[in-house]
Amino acid sequence: MNTNVQKQGREILIIGSGIAGLTCAIEVAKSGNKAILVSPYPSERSQSVMAAGGINAALNTCGENDSVALHVKDTFDGGCGIASKEAVERLCADAPDIIAWLESLGTIFNRDENGNIDLRAFGGQCKRRTVYSGASTGKQIVTALVQEARKYECGKRIERRAGRHFHSALIREEDGDKVCYGALFYNEFMNRLETIYADAVIMATGGQNGVFGKTTGSTLCDGYAIGKLFMQGAEIKNPEFIQYHPTTIETTQKKMTITEGARGEGGRLYYLQDNQRVYFMEALYGEKGNLMPRDIVSKCIYQAPSQVYLDISFLGKEKIQERLPEVMELCQKYIGIDVSKESIPVTPSVHFFMGGLAVDNKHRTNIKHLYAIGECAAQYHGANRLGGNSLLSAIHSGRVAADSVYNEENNLTEADAFAIQKYFECYIEKQKEVLFNRQEEQQRISPIRFRRELANVMHNQLGICRNEKDLEEGLSKIEHMLNTVTYVTPDSGNSPYQAYVIEAMVALAKAILTAALSRKESRGAHIRSDYPEQNDLLYYAATIVSWQNGSCFVRYEREDA
Amino acid sequence: MLVKIKRQKGMGAEPYWQTFSYDGERNVTVSAVLEYLNGQENLVDIDGMPAPHIRWACSCMQNICGACAMVINGRPSLACNTFLRDLDDKILILEPLSKFPTAIDLTVDRSIIQENLKRAEVFLGEYESASVKDRKKNGKQQYSVAKCMKCGLCLEVCPNYKKGENFFGALFANESYLLHSQSKDRKKTLKDNYKEHFSAGCSKSLSCQDVCPAGISTLTTLLNMNHK
Repeated sequence: MNTNVQKQGREILIIGSGIAGLTCAIEVAKSGNKAILVSPYPSERSQSVMAAGGINAALNTCGENDSVALHVKDTFDGGCGIASKEAVERLCADAPDIIAWLESLGTIFNRDENGNIDLRAFGGQCKRRTVYSGASTGKQIVTALVQEARKYECGKRIERRAGRHFHSALIREEDGDKVCYGALFYNEFMNRLETIYADAVIMATGGQNGVFGKTTGSTLCDGYAIGKLFMQGAEIKNPEFIQYHPTTIETTQKKMTITEGARGEGGRLYYLQDNQRVYFMEALYGEKGNLMPRDIVSKCIYQAPSQVYLDISFLGKEKIQERLPEVMELCQKYIGIDVSKESIPVTPSVHFFMGGLAVDNKHRTNIKHLYAIGECAAQYHGANRLGGNSLLSAIHSGRVAADSVYNEENNLTEADAFAIQKYFECYIEKQKEVLFNRQEEQQRISPIRFRRELANVMHNQLGICRNEKDLEEGLSKIEHMLNTVTYVTPDSGNSPYQAYVIEAMVALAKAILTAALSRKESRGAHIRSDYPEQNDLLYYAATIVSWQNGSCFVRYEREDA
Repeated sequence: MLVKIKRQKGMGAEPYWQTFSYDGERNVTVSAVLEYLNGQENLVDIDGMPAPHIRWACSCMQNICGACAMVINGRPSLACNTFLRDLDDKILILEPLSKFPTAIDLTVDRSIIQENLKRAEVFLGEYESASVKDRKKNGKQQYSVAKCMKCGLCLEVCPNYKKGENFFGALFANESYLLHSQSKDRKKTLKDNYKEHFSAGCSKSLSCQDVCPAGISTLTTLLNMNHK
């Protein structure tokens, strides 16, 4: 912690080193402050590297009269009107500059024959607007950001601390407000808890895959940090809006995304009826049917009478190898299909979380000095995210948070800092005791079984299409799990992390189910079979969930109100 | 099928071997085998003795992130991209990478990779926009090397890489090429460091290419860096 009232010389703790965390660290360093970048693994393992298709920006290089205003309209409408319009406007306005910045860091983008950055068509967008690097856009961006961050590491403006898992935030009540002063981490190699105090804490821990078991994303994004902060008093926004990627393939180990870029390049969806191909998306929505927003495509595939296939074979081997080489490799390797000759059997799977920690337009949570960015925050995507907007919002939110932190008042005296550390001593000791006693507990429930049960509830009682009866049943199962969670103990082969994360993950699941039950309408990715219509009178607003003494409280708030 | 695993309880602890029996599906990857074993609440070894769950690192499970690098039947590989069907042997033998300190079981501390890239100041500096012609020439290789996962398989297999004291290996060479080919103001520094920490020590066995899960041609990098 720094007791200087100056805007520079502060220490900012950033948790998570994917694209959002990296961007934020670079911006913090640039502004003359120090970023402490903490993550369990290096950035190369983050889920960001899996983002395939591209990043949206109204560059208008294809002669289609694209504009920031149209990007705003597509994003806002795609999210069914409940995102902050102001936030979406800033996001889209920042996009061309973000691409220029990424280019200046050496990101390798696909280009047209004149050397200009090429654009591809993506779902839910009226123009070609998606900048891309083959089908490894996220990975290409991570590589560029990592080397840029390295520059500041050499200059000691960014300090990386890998091998640390988030444990909890250091939060103190002050005159009815909650204020964050740092966080605790579990160091896996050293088997100990570590404390980091900071002038601000920025969460960049990604999505909530762990609550759902097998998803298209990284196994590292378990949702724990969101759930833990929720239990510590941070509010959650829109958790019921969970994006199913329409086109994924299934293997024994996981679900793998076939990028939307495949449909952007012309790929067609169909099912077979009496041995005839039915191009159902085109039949339902016309020429651009295969590129409807993801919520709609997923719903249609889910409701199709038989197995749905994605055909890109007609593009020809050469074009596939040039623009979608990763799709070809993936299908060949994991399901033994040559996509230049055969169609790909696809199914929708959990892919992205529109919901997350509730933040305002400056990416502040309701806890002072605590921020959230990237997928762990909820801000731009409303009820449904457009493909190509997640990489964009990861970078944009990292920039916004760095700027907010820079401009935030912070005038602790040295005596204050000392008093704060004194205050947390007791909390930290208690956490150590709980963590290490748990490791020795005899009577135990395996965390593996617990996580499997949790995923089952989320798939069976929530899923793509929801209804009151199933949701209530799911909630009662979750309630039971919360009551037995203290018996969850790792065996000596599991990390203590695997055990201590469970309770917060179940609490997060409770928030998701509660929000899904409470929103009695269908909107974007939230589909209720018992309330199939959108109800703007009651629900044209964001869902805010808070946690008090084990109960979830839901309210609805209009953004920009 | 038998699965023999070289295990270790913690940093500095003595390694030991433990064998498990696997009766699940065969058309799967090694990571699916590990998941299958760890999915059993009460894991037992081949003699029926209780065994702790097997610690290994994984993230993407689809050959993009490099987390699950290990030695599989003697060959440095990613678990998520190695299929049982492609292994000749009747037994699956898993060991942690040997050139990094073992942490627990199959997990190792690979932080030396990032340390060395930092030590050699591998960053771009000012970007130089390339001509259409140069892009055509370099684009494919740049795209390919930018997919490097920093998994360390190229270091594990390399006859010249020991512990990374002075020779930093193929992943360093490839990253140096990527930045050298795009930098306006740091070309000389990047090249000098490349010479010192790579070309001076590389005996050109090119074994790094055989094991690279991203399929990066280090030879192409060498040809570019040595001629510029």
